[in-house]
Amino acid sequence: MDTELRAIRPPAEARYAAELSALAADDTAPKPAGWRLSPRAVRRFLLGDPKVGVTRKFYGDDPLVDRAIVSLMSQQGLMLVGEPGTAKSLLSELLAAAISGTSGLVVQGSAGTTEDHIRYGWNYALLLAEGPSERALVPSPVLNAMRSGRIVRFEEITRCPPEVQDALISVLSEKALALPELGPDAVASAVPGFNVIATANLRDRGVHEMSSALKRRFNFETVHPIADPEFERELVLKQLAERLGPAGVSVTGERDVAEVLVRTFQDLRTGRTAEGVSLNRPDAVMSTAEAVNVMHAAALEAAYLDNGKLSAAHVARQLQGVVLKDAPEDGKRLRAYVDHIVKERAGRSGAWKDFYQAARALKLG
Amino acid sequence: MEIPILHDASRDLWVVPVRHHSPACAAHLERLIAEVQPAAVLVEGPCDFDPLIDLLCDTRTRPPVAIVSLAETGSGEKARRVVSYFPFCAHSPEFVALQSARARGVSARFIDLPSTARAWRSEGEERPDRSLLGSEQGFTVGDYVTALARELGARDGNEVWDQLFETRLADADWQRFFLDVAQYCACIRGATDPAEMAHDGTLEREAQMRAIISAVRGYVSGPIIAIVGGFHAEAVFAASKDKPIAAKSGAGRSYLIRYGMRQLDALRGYGAGLPLPGYYQRLWEARGEGAAGLATELITGFAAHLRSSKGEVPSFPVITNAIEQAERLATLRGRPFPTRDDVIDAIRSSFIKDEIPVEQVPLLNELRAWLTGTALGEVPASAGSPPLVEAARGQAKALGFNTEDGERRTRELDIYRKPRHRAASRFAHAMALIDTPFAERTGGPDFRNDIALDRLHEMWAVCWSPLVEARLIELSEVADTLGEALAFVLATRIAALSEQGKGRSALAAIDLFAAACRAGLGREGEAILALIEEQVIEDPELPSVVAAFTDLILLRRGREVLGLTEIGPLDHLVKAAWRRLVLLLPELADWGKDQVAGAVQALADLRGAVELARSSEAPVDFALVDEALADLRTRDLDPMLDGAVTAFALMGGQVSADELESRLRGELASGYVDPRDRLAFLGGVIAIARELVWTLPAIIDTLDTVIAGLDEDAFTELLPYMRLALMPLDPREVDRLAEDIAARLGAKPGALTADIGISEHEMHENLRLDRELADVLARDGVA
Repeated sequence: MDTELRAIRPPAEARYAAELSALAADDTAPKPAGWRLSPRAVRRFLLGDPKVGVTRKFYGDDPLVDRAIVSLMSQQGLMLVGEPGTAKSLLSELLAAAISGTSGLVVQGSAGTTEDHIRYGWNYALLLAEGPSERALVPSPVLNAMRSGRIVRFEEITRCPPEVQDALISVLSEKALALPELGPDAVASAVPGFNVIATANLRDRGVHEMSSALKRRFNFETVHPIADPEFERELVLKQLAERLGPAGVSVTGERDVAEVLVRTFQDLRTGRTAEGVSLNRPDAVMSTAEAVNVMHAAALEAAYLDNGKLSAAHVARQLQGVVLKDAPEDGKRLRAYVDHIVKERAGRSGAWKDFYQAARALKLG
Repeated sequence: MEIPILHDASRDLWVVPVRHHSPACAAHLERLIAEVQPAAVLVEGPCDFDPLIDLLCDTRTRPPVAIVSLAETGSGEKARRVVSYFPFCAHSPEFVALQSARARGVSARFIDLPSTARAWRSEGEERPDRSLLGSEQGFTVGDYVTALARELGARDGNEVWDQLFETRLADADWQRFFLDVAQYCACIRGATDPAEMAHDGTLEREAQMRAIISAVRGYVSGPIIAIVGGFHAEAVFAASKDKPIAAKSGAGRSYLIRYGMRQLDALRGYGAGLPLPGYYQRLWEARGEGAAGLATELITGFAAHLRSSKGEVPSFPVITNAIEQAERLATLRGRPFPTRDDVIDAIRSSFIKDEIPVEQVPLLNELRAWLTGTALGEVPASAGSPPLVEAARGQAKALGFNTEDGERRTRELDIYRKPRHRAASRFAHAMALIDTPFAERTGGPDFRNDIALDRLHEMWAVCWSPLVEARLIELSEVADTLGEALAFVLATRIAALSEQGKGRSALAAIDLFAAACRAGLGREGEAILALIEEQVIEDPELPSVVAAFTDLILLRRGREVLGLTEIGPLDHLVKAAWRRLVLLLPELADWGKDQVAGAVQALADLRGAVELARSSEAPVDFALVDEALADLRTRDLDPMLDGAVTAFALMGGQVSADELESRLRGELASGYVDPRDRLAFLGGVIAIARELVWTLPAIIDTLDTVIAGLDEDAFTELLPYMRLALMPLDPREVDRLAEDIAARLGAKPGALTADIGISEHEMHENLRLDRELADVLARDGVA
């Protein structure tokens, strides 16, 4: 546990160990077989319960959390889809930590993922020495989760080739995995508590299709970007504090700056400003997570290279890196946004003025 | 905050707080009435609706129904008729209360301000479907409800209501239930600005309720119950000595009409009640056996609906998963059975195997529509609906239109072969013309524009919604039959034309006449005929009169299908338009230089109209146009107009080919400064009768001679205008002309096309330029 906490980013069950044990102590509602907490306690863990000192960790769509928890109690797996940066992975991590006590059983989907990552591999030295045996078998996170009745997470499932994805079909429908090498009747059966949370992106570049057979075995939940600017600002500020706190960095003036940043992100993400002016949406992902990254980088610049006062100018300089990722057109779109919308707002508030002046100086194509 | 009470023992008065259309309130109200055994039942609702209670309680009345009220507002120029509704469904506490009062034989009354009172109109003035149920916004917006929703983990005020109250539908303890409703509503009222209540008429209405309750208390002995919106409960307890405000006699009229589930839906902006009424209807029906099986019924029901209407079959595992999901969501959210949002959430999770965009998906829209329902109510035949409504409904039924539900249907009408279909088409046109949302024409032949006349069938999308009857009721003030309503609407429209700046426009008037013809306007039509004729004979614009005349001829040709048995009135109009046209024709000479193109176009249209009239043997004197043209030719005309008039006259035989030829030669060889003017005459000729270019060889001869006499520079100067003059020719005609010219020159037609070779490099270069140009155009937004 000690080493876990010293990690750059400890897993959710370590970060929130105190909250989880407080919830477990307070938990009187019935638990589904294999679950560490009751569904209601899981809900409280994600959405917060000030009475027992539990913080809110997922924002913006409470009914979605309910549906996700309930899906995990059913025969179906849970598929979280949505744009990048909408906290799909965070949600799956928190759910796994609360339900199974570990969020560490993960298959990371990529073009290089093979069936072994989903079923099992071999310790080849032992395999050669002893032949196929339980000792020589290297179980995948999926097999581990089945045997221990826990949740396995499958990140970015659509980045795997479809034939690899489909290895999950029998696991989800039969809740069992044949191990033919260990004998004709060798089968690993899932213990209650086992389920799969997959995250996927259906529209990004370089993703694969998902077969209908696999889709049928999941309940789909779409995670949308946060629509309420107030809410998003609070979230950005909270996450900024979480990142700066452990590093011992402190800055001032972040509230006004967060306002400017979140408004800018919302405008560009939706293609429409709060005043109702339409604009061209950049192709780049303008997610809340990106906003936090921008704030974080800007805050570090202010703390280490300036006097510790965060201004909208710091944010403007960081924005370039977010928007100018792949499409050169995006630079022009940001330029148009700065020239028309930001200029207009610059007359009204100091933060927008700082933002405007710094953004004007950027090379945006 | 004071603890609310339901019963004032000193006056033996029960004030029952309800939410409109809430099944739980209705179910508990039934229990309350059974126990309290009231001597009188008072219901929040305009007091001038009392005479309709008998009809509402008639055994043949089947909700949803509504009382529609017509009231005149303002005076003089601002006078307007306001239509508003007071809807009831089977699970409206108000409806249940009135029914129980009737069953027990005790008196029942409405206690709100009369529907004509000003207090009703302080808001929603412009809305076409004003509601006379008090607004219930407090249940869905406001700080109190928002905070409560957050506390309960609910997404909005409606989910809060469902969780706190609708789930208690089958509880036995009605006292506890209504006390909780009262408490909840008192909190909402506590968070409402008193100034707003004064402004929106709430306080005035409550004073009236107090006054009527006190008055009834005066003459009834035994318990009285008053059913009011929870928001008002606290305020109507106090005794009052005021005299109730009575409806002004003759200020308004009200009717009981059939209403629809779709119109009841709170999501459609109607300010009271609950969203997706079909769900609550089912909840109400399940009140006896408890709502435990409701989710299963809804989910399997929706799956069956998908199967029958869309041909999509959700698999059995999907359905069982959804049911399981709904039950578990309810448990997780602490509800005894799945409520509306749990069922929607369950279907969303289980049925849709894909990403769900923010702006909705078809399946969820379908679910909402299904949970809204399409049922229409029924009112007794004696409901005293105005004759116009009866007439229209009877006619619709007789013509095979469904008036039983609010479903949208398509109907195909074989208007050429089946007289009944022709009548149905006329009926649909008429209903559209008088602005009822009954029918929308989606395809078929268009006699007016001479388009798609080969199509045999007319397609209509029809839907007999309550709004249809509401519009008919509105018109019933002025008409008893569809024909009268049509005549009224047409007369109003014609009068409105001048307000829209289209006064004295023959075209606009004929437009209306054509619509009226399609709608089968019979004898009543003669009245408007005079009005239309007036518009025609006063129209100062030749183009508009020409277009109107063309329309009339087209109408005349299609008269059999349109059912115009009497040709007399139509011919009368045709003649009027013709006379007007002949009168306006010589005025072309006075048109300004910048209007020449318009004048030539008008002449070209006129020529088309004359041909059409000749071919359909219109009863007009064609010689009149020839005379007018002769008159025109004596005037000093712009060369282009001159060409047009001369060509027109040639077609009529007043000008010989030689005369045209010499005029043309003179013009082409003329000494105009601007070369454009030299070709204007030819342009005018071609605009009127381009076939002359090959039927009259003299034209090409002349052109040939003139061009042969030109030097290179003069030719280059003339060339663009020549092209412009020949522009009206289509590619086939250009080909034909080219062949003629080639034959004349003794060349083979193929030899005339020059083969210009370009290299591959040059072609690529050109393509690149082309793309660049396209980019520039796209960037400037003119692509």
